[in-house]
Amino acid sequence: MKAGDVIGPVKVDGIPTQTIRAWSGFLADPNPIHLDPAAVAAIGLGNQVISQGPLNLAIVMNLLTSNLGKVQIEQLESRFVGNVFAAEPLIAQGRICAVENDRVTCEATLEAEGRGPVITCTATLRVVP
Amino acid sequence: MSMSADLPAPPDVRGRSLDGGAPYVINANENAALCHSLGTEPAHDGTAHPIYYFIATQLGMGVTVAGLCELCGFDVADGPMIIGSAVRFDAPLYVDRPYRVTGSILHIERKRSRKFGVMDVLEYRLALVDGDRDVLVTTNTWVLPRRELS
Repeated sequence: MKAGDVIGPVKVDGIPTQTIRAWSGFLADPNPIHLDPAAVAAIGLGNQVISQGPLNLAIVMNLLTSNLGKVQIEQLESRFVGNVFAAEPLIAQGRICAVENDRVTCEATLEAEGRGPVITCTATLRVVP
Repeated sequence: MSMSADLPAPPDVRGRSLDGGAPYVINANENAALCHSLGTEPAHDGTAHPIYYFIATQLGMGVTVAGLCELCGFDVADGPMIIGSAVRFDAPLYVDRPYRVTGSILHIERKRSRKFGVMDVLEYRLALVDGDRDVLVTTNTWVLPRRELS
């Protein structure tokens, strides 16, 4: 593991509507844009429900914790820069910026295929012995 | 984005406590369901998915998101948007362990933006506490679009 190494990419075929519905429960978030396509259409954003930001972020977290051996997230700073729509193909990928002793710093993004980033992150990970 | 001296001041909520009441417990079955929804298996050592940093603090703080918006004079139906979140973990999260949530509003600032028109940018800090030590500290940033002022 060294600076410049690429993390992923991991492709996600699309977040199913039933997953988004389940996350409304996990987050206790009744916002209709996650549940009802008509609510999304009413604000002019198409006819697919929108996934929750934390669900999108969890995909990036999985990228970081599943592709670099045994690591724990120590710090994570995330910007939510766009919506993800149900069934929309996504790509999670990252890049290692530095490795120092048992700490790895990296950047990662979640991109909606053909539309660009929806989440950008910087992270510090601790390598677990 | 720009500061706007011509706009009315945002509500004076800086320093408002967001301390939670009852402890928050990450339910093991729910953690498993959450992991499965992401196509992964839950950890076998009792640790929870790290996204619970967000879920546990949001659900364990002293007000709902709707209540937080109301504190800021904003109707949740007008569409608050989270734009940023930072977290520092001092320890992993575990299922079936009671955590307290403490926190407060750090900042609210009224601005104009090309994308949102007039908006309040709200920043608040929450900590998840196990016994007497912080397990994690997080800062979330939300945009509250003030369409009535745009």
